Amino acid sequence: MRLVSKTIFSAMSFFMVASCTKLDETDVLYDQVTTDQFFKTDREFLSAVGAAYTNLYGYRGSFVNVNEVTSDEIVVPTRGADWGDGGHWVRLKLHTYKPTDSEINGAWNNLYAGISTCNRLISTLEPVGTDQSKAYIAELKVLRAIYYYWLLDTYGNVPLSIDFKNTTPPPNSTRQQIYDFIEKEILDNVSQLPKSGPNDQATYGRVNYYTGYAALAKLYLNAGIYTGTAQWDKAISACDTIINSGKYSLTANYKDNFVKENTGASEFIWAIPYDQVHAKGFNLDMQTLHQESQRTYNVTAQPWNGFASVQEFYQSYIDPTQNPGPQGSVVGLDPKGTPTTGTLDKRLSNFLVGPQYDATGKRLMDGAVDATDPDGPQLTFTPYINELQPGAWRQSGARIGKWEFYNGMTDNMSNDFAIFRYADFLLVKAEAVARKNNNWNHPIALALVNQIRTQHGGVAPFATMDDKSFLAERGREMFDEAYRRQDMIRFDNYNSSFRFHPADADKHVNILPIPEAQINSNPNLKQNPGY
Amino acid sequence: MNCYMKIAFILRVFCISVFCLFFSLSSIFAQNKRISGKVTDATGATLSGVSIRAKNANVGGTTDNNGSYSISLPQKVNTLVFSSVGFATQEISIGDKTTLDVRMTPSTSQLTDVVVVGYGTQRKREVTSAVTSVSAEQFNKGNVTDVAQLLQGKVAGLSISRPGGDPNSGFSIRLRGLSSFGANSQPLVVVDGQVGADLNSIDPNDIASIDVLKDASAAAIYGTRGSAGVLIVTTKKGTSGPPRVSYNGSVTAEDPSKFTAHMNASQYIAAGGPNLGSNTDWNKEISRTAISHTHNLSFSGGSNGTTYNASVNYRDNQGVAIKTGFRQINARLNLTQRALQNKLVFNLNVTTGRREAHQGFSEAFKYATIFNPTAPVHVAPDSVNFAGVKGGYFESNFVDYANPVAVLEQNTNDYTAKRINVQGSAEYEIVPGLKFLVRYAQQSFSNFRTAFLPRTSFHSRNFLGVSGFARNGYAYKADDENSNQLYENTLTYDTKFNKLNVTALAGYSYQSFLSQGTSIGAGNFVTDLTADNLGTALDLGAGLANITSYKNGSRLAAFFGRLNLNYNNFAFLSATLRREGSTQFGVNNKWGMFPAVSAGLDISKLAVIPKVDNLKLRASYGITGSLPPSSYLSLSTFTATQGTEFFAGGTWLAPYAPNRNANPDLKWERKAEFDAGLDFTMFNNKLSGTADYYSRTTSDLIFNVTVPVPPNLANRTWKNVGTLSSTGFELALNYDVLPKGNFTWKTGANFSTNHTKLSKLSADIAPGSYIGETNLGTPGQEATQITRAYAGQDIGLFWGPVYKGLDKNGKYLFDNGKGGDTTDENAYRTLIGKGLPKFEFGWTNTFSYKNFDLNFFFRGSVGHDLINTYRGFYENATVVSAYNAVTTKYYNPNVKDGQKFSSLFVEKGTFVKLDNATLGYNFPLPKTGLVRSLRAYINGQNLFIITNYTGVDPEVRYADQSTNPPNVLAPGVDRRETWVRTRSFTFGVNVGF
Repeated sequence: MRLVSKTIFSAMSFFMVASCTKLDETDVLYDQVTTDQFFKTDREFLSAVGAAYTNLYGYRGSFVNVNEVTSDEIVVPTRGADWGDGGHWVRLKLHTYKPTDSEINGAWNNLYAGISTCNRLISTLEPVGTDQSKAYIAELKVLRAIYYYWLLDTYGNVPLSIDFKNTTPPPNSTRQQIYDFIEKEILDNVSQLPKSGPNDQATYGRVNYYTGYAALAKLYLNAGIYTGTAQWDKAISACDTIINSGKYSLTANYKDNFVKENTGASEFIWAIPYDQVHAKGFNLDMQTLHQESQRTYNVTAQPWNGFASVQEFYQSYIDPTQNPGPQGSVVGLDPKGTPTTGTLDKRLSNFLVGPQYDATGKRLMDGAVDATDPDGPQLTFTPYINELQPGAWRQSGARIGKWEFYNGMTDNMSNDFAIFRYADFLLVKAEAVARKNNNWNHPIALALVNQIRTQHGGVAPFATMDDKSFLAERGREMFDEAYRRQDMIRFDNYNSSFRFHPADADKHVNILPIPEAQINSNPNLKQNPGY
Repeated sequence: MNCYMKIAFILRVFCISVFCLFFSLSSIFAQNKRISGKVTDATGATLSGVSIRAKNANVGGTTDNNGSYSISLPQKVNTLVFSSVGFATQEISIGDKTTLDVRMTPSTSQLTDVVVVGYGTQRKREVTSAVTSVSAEQFNKGNVTDVAQLLQGKVAGLSISRPGGDPNSGFSIRLRGLSSFGANSQPLVVVDGQVGADLNSIDPNDIASIDVLKDASAAAIYGTRGSAGVLIVTTKKGTSGPPRVSYNGSVTAEDPSKFTAHMNASQYIAAGGPNLGSNTDWNKEISRTAISHTHNLSFSGGSNGTTYNASVNYRDNQGVAIKTGFRQINARLNLTQRALQNKLVFNLNVTTGRREAHQGFSEAFKYATIFNPTAPVHVAPDSVNFAGVKGGYFESNFVDYANPVAVLEQNTNDYTAKRINVQGSAEYEIVPGLKFLVRYAQQSFSNFRTAFLPRTSFHSRNFLGVSGFARNGYAYKADDENSNQLYENTLTYDTKFNKLNVTALAGYSYQSFLSQGTSIGAGNFVTDLTADNLGTALDLGAGLANITSYKNGSRLAAFFGRLNLNYNNFAFLSATLRREGSTQFGVNNKWGMFPAVSAGLDISKLAVIPKVDNLKLRASYGITGSLPPSSYLSLSTFTATQGTEFFAGGTWLAPYAPNRNANPDLKWERKAEFDAGLDFTMFNNKLSGTADYYSRTTSDLIFNVTVPVPPNLANRTWKNVGTLSSTGFELALNYDVLPKGNFTWKTGANFSTNHTKLSKLSADIAPGSYIGETNLGTPGQEATQITRAYAGQDIGLFWGPVYKGLDKNGKYLFDNGKGGDTTDENAYRTLIGKGLPKFEFGWTNTFSYKNFDLNFFFRGSVGHDLINTYRGFYENATVVSAYNAVTTKYYNPNVKDGQKFSSLFVEKGTFVKLDNATLGYNFPLPKTGLVRSLRAYINGQNLFIITNYTGVDPEVRYADQSTNPPNVLAPGVDRRETWVRTRSFTFGVNVGF
C-alpha cells in the first residue's frame, strides 16, 4: 500500500509541477528583436536613423503620382481592359479625387510614416546626449520639416505632431501654423548640418546645410499660396545661399542628371539613392513602358504600359514659337506619329516616342494592338492619345524616358532621383526676382533661364519672357520631378482647362482631400473644405 | 528547469513509477472464489487478450491464447465486466456459477452508441451538447483524397467546399458559419486525443469515425481553439483475435465537366479579334482524362493484451490539367499494450507520410479561356517564337496572358510534403474508477517546394512575379517546417452514488509550436539544365536573388476540468472549465477562462409518449476562444527589409525599425453560444433525429485596424474590435424505410441554416465605415471594390453599381440612386448580392437487395450569390483585341463600353448536385476460405448538378482566397484561378483475409 500511495503521490505531484505557465512571447521571438535589445552599438544607431531616409524610397510612388497625374504633364489613360482601376487614375486627371482614393491615402501614409519615424528617433536619441546623437537630432528635425513641407503643399491643413510621447491623435493645424513650424525648425537646426557638396559620400542621400536652404527656398517661393504673404526676398536669399556656395553647377549635359550612373551629379542638392538591389522603389520603367518594350531593354519583368505624357506638353518642346531653337525631324502629333519638323530641344530625351525596336534593332510588334489604332501592330509611341478612357490605344502617349532606361534593368531602376536639383533653384531665383520686380524680363531672371535653355536644352535663348513662357520652360526642365502641380497652382492654371481636364468649378481641389481612412481613424481630424 | 526539461523529467519519473508498480501490485487483495471460462467472438472463434474485471473491486485478468481465463475473486464480487477493443463491453452477473463462457459481439455499437468528446467518451444518451458522430460507413465514397471530403454534406451545420477539381488544393471547412475574423475559421482537429493535429496527416482509409463538436459547451474544453468547432478523428484500432488483413483498391477516371464558355475561332474573328490562322480549343489542349489509383493494405489483430492496427496507403492521383497530380504514401501504426490486469494501458500511434505533388498552374484555365482561339499551340516549324525558339510555343506579349499549354508543359511547380506524427500515452487505473493519463505527442510537417521557369518560358507576371524568359531562367526553392509538441496529463474519476453516475476530469495541457523556413529565388542561368544548382544562378552575384528565412513560435498552457452527472439515465448535467494562456496574447491579457454548462432530460423516461422511444431535450451554454492569426501581433519589434537599405556614408546598411504597433491588450476572440436541441427516436427506433437551434455571439474579433500615424508608428494595429452574431437551425433525420428482408432502404437527410451578422464594430473603427473590402483584381481592376462588411449588416455583402441596361451607344447604364440612369459606375453603389447561403442540405439513400447495395447522395446550397469574375473581366466583345471574350447566356454583343463591374456580373449560386453514388456487390464466400470478405463497387462523384450559375462551379466560396490569409469577410467571389469542375468514376474492390 505504501508503494501505491507513493505512486499516487508522485503522479499527483508532477501533475502539479508540470505546470509550465510562463508565456512571455519574447521567449519565442527568433527572427526579430525587441526595442530594448537594440541600440547597443553606434552601427545600430546609424541603422535606426536610416529608417527615416529609406521611407523616402516610396517618394516615386503615390506622392509623385498625385503631383504629376493631376497636372498637364502626365496622364494614366484607361487602356481598354487595363488601368481602369475603379477610375482613380482618371479622377486624378479630372480633379475629382475622393478621400477614399488609394493614391491620396498612399501619399499621406508615406509622408506621415517618415514623420513618425523621425519623432520616434528624436525621442530615442534625446536622452543619449552625445555629440553624435545631437547631430542626428538636428538632421532628423530638418528632414521632418521637409516631410511637413510636402504635406503643407499637398494636403494643406495637416495635423502637426512632433512629440513621440504625446499619444493623442493630433488635430488639424492651419497652413500658417505648419508654415511657421517648418521655417523655424529648419532655421533652428540648419546651421548644425554639414556644408557638404553633391559628391560627398558621407552625406550623399542625406539632408545637409544646402538641403535645408533648398527646402526653405521652395517654402518661400510658395509662401503666398500657403499663407497669403509672398516671401520673394527670402526665396532669393535662400537660393543665393546655394548658388553662392560654389558647391553646385549645371551638368554639362541635361541627361547627366538622369543616367543610370548619376550618383553625385553636380546638380544634386539632395537625391534619393535608388538602386535595383539595395534601394528599391523607382519603377518608372514598369509604369510607363509597353509590355513589348521589355525586349528593347531586356527588362527582367513585364512592364505595365500605363503612364504617358500628353500631346500639348510634348508640343511645348517641339513648337518653334514656344521653344525657339534648331529645327529638325521629330515625331509628330498626328495619330500615327508621322515625322514632322520641330525644335530639337536636347531635353526631348524626356520622352520615348516613335517606332520601337528590340535590343537587336528588330521592329517590335504589339500582338494585342487596338483594331482602331491607325499605326497598326508595329509598336509606335505616339504623342497623340485618342481618349482618356475607356479605350485609349495601348500604344498611344509619349512615354516618360527622362531617367535613362538601360539594358537588363529590373522593375527597380538604379538611377538616383534628385528631390532638389540645382537647375530648379536657378529657376526659383529667376521666378522670385521676376515676381518681386513684377517684370518677367528682369535681366537676372532672363539670364538664369537662358543659362538653362542653352546649356541643358541647346535651344535659343529667350529674347523676352512672360509668365506663360517661363512656366513652359519650367515644364521642359522639371518634367516629372514632382513640382508640376505646385507650379500650376502658383501660376493659377491648375484649375483651367487642359488636355483631358475640363476647368474646375472652384479651387478647393488645390489641396487634396484628407484621406477618409485617416479621418476615420483619428476623430480629431477634419476634412478639407469642399470634400 | 525549462518547460522541456521539466516535461522530460516528468516522463522519466512516470516510466519508473509504472515499472515499480508492475512488480508490486499483483497480490494485494484477499481472494476467496475462483471462476473460469472461455471467451469467443460471434462466429465462435476464441478471443485472447479480453479484459475481465470485477465490478467494484480492483481485481481481474485477461484471456489466454485459447480464449480461456481463470481468476480468483473476493466473495462479494457479483458481476464481471468483459471488454476488448472492437467489441461491446458486457457486464455479466456471476450468481453461483463457477464457469462463465462469454460470446462477445462486435462493437459497431462502440461507434454508434459512444460519442467521442474532448478528453474522453460519453454514451450517446448522456450527451447534452451538440455533437454529431459520423462513422466510416456513412463517409463519402469514391476517390476521396482529403479527410474533409469524407464529411462533405454529412453533418448539419458543417460546410465543406472546394470549388473546382484541383487535386492539390484543400477544402474550406466552416462549422456553423463564421466565428472569427482571423486565420482560425476552420475547426480544431483532434486525432486520437492529439489536439491540434493536422487533418491530412491521416489517410481517409484509416479513419473509423469523426465526431463533430458543434456548440460551445462541447468545444469549451478546448479553450482558445474551440470557437470554430472541433473535429475529433478516431482512427481504426486493432481488435483481439486472429490477424486480419484487408486490401482496398480503386481506379478512378476523372474528366472536366464544365469549362468557362467563350468564343470559338470563327466567333472570335467575327467579333473583330485578330485572326492568326489556326483553330485551337485551348481547354482541350490543356486537359485530359485523369487516371488515379489508390491502394490500402492493413493488418490488425491482437493477443496477450496487445492489439495493433497497421496500414499503408498509396495514392497516385492525376489532375485533369496536364502534368498535374500527386503521389502519396502514408503509413500508420496503432499499438496498444495492456498490463497489470488491464489497469495499465500503453498506446502508441505513429503516422508518417510523404506526398510528391505537381501543382501545375491554376492560371492555365484562365489563359485557356482568354487566349486567342486562332493562335496555334506552336509556331510554324521553321519560324522562331517569342523566346527565339524555332517551332516553339506561340506567345504574345500582353498583360496576364500566356499560352496555357506552354504554362503547364514548360514550367515546374512542385512540392514534397513530409509528415511525421508520433504519439504515446500511458494510462493507469490507480483505484477502480480513478485513472491517470499522460500523453506526449510530436507532429511535424515539412514542405519542400521547387519551381522552375526555363529561359524559353514566357509566363506573364503572376507566378513568383517573374518570367523565365526575362530572367534567363528562374528557379525557386523553399523549405518550410511546422512542428509542435504536446504534453498532457489527465485524471479521471468515474463513480456512482445510488442512481447518480459521476464522471470527473481534471487536466493540464502544454503545447509549443515552431515554424521555420527558408526560400531562395534566383535567375540568370547559362543553361536551364543546372537549375537545381542554385549556385549557378548569376542573380546571386548580381544581388538580384530573393532570399528569405524566418523562425517563429508560440506556446499554449491550460488547466481544465469537467464534471458529468447522470441521474438514473434520466437527467444529465455537464460542466467544464478551461483556463488557458497563450504567448500570442498581449501581456495584459495572457490568460482566459472558458466555462460551459449543459443539461439534458430524457422525457421518455418521465411519461410514455405514443410512438416515441426516446426524447431527450437538452440545452447548453459555453464560451470558447480563438487565437490571433499569427504570433507577435501584440509586440512592437525591430526588423529590416531586403532591398530597402540605407546609404550610410558610402556603404549600404540595413535600417532597423519597428514593424508594428504594440497592443499589450490583445486577447482572444471570445465566442458565447447558447444551444437548445432535442434528440429522438420513434416508431421502434426506425426514425431517429436531432434538431438544434443556436445563437452565438463572437466578440473581441481581431482585426488589423487603421490607426493615425503619428502618434502610432505603423498605420495599422491588431486590435479586438468586432462582434459577430449568428443564429442557426439544424435538423438531421434518419429513417429505416424498409429495415428487414431482401430489400432494404434507409434514408437520411440533414438541413441547416446560418445567418451571420457583423453586429458591432468598436469605436476604433469609425461609424459608417466598412472593413474587409476586396477588389476585382488585375489587370486594371485592382482598385475596383466588390465587397464590404458594415457594422449592423450581414457578412458577405457585394457592393457596386446596379446594372440597368445599355444606352443607344452601347454604354453600360447604372442606377443613379435617384430613380434614373447614369453611365458613371461610381455615381451610386449599393448592395448587389450576398455571398453566403440561406441554407444547405444533404440527402442520402441506401438500398440493398441481397448482396447488392446502392447509395446515392445529393447535396445542395441555396440562396448564395457569386461574383463571376470571368464575366466581370471578359464578357465584353471590346476585349477581343487582346483577349478572347467570355460568352455565357448573359453575353451581350451590343456592349461598346470598357468593362465596368456591376450587378450584371453577380449571379445566383443555388445548386443541387448528385455528389456521390455507389453501387456495390458483396460476394458470398465460404466461411472457411482464405478470403473472409470480398466487395466490388463502382462509384460516381459529381454526377450532375442543377444550377443557373454560368461559371464552372457554384460551390459557396466561404472566403476570398486571393489574399493570404484568405479574407473571411469577403465570401462569394468566384476567382479566375479556380480549376474547372470535374466528374469522376471509380471502380474498386475491398478484400478481407
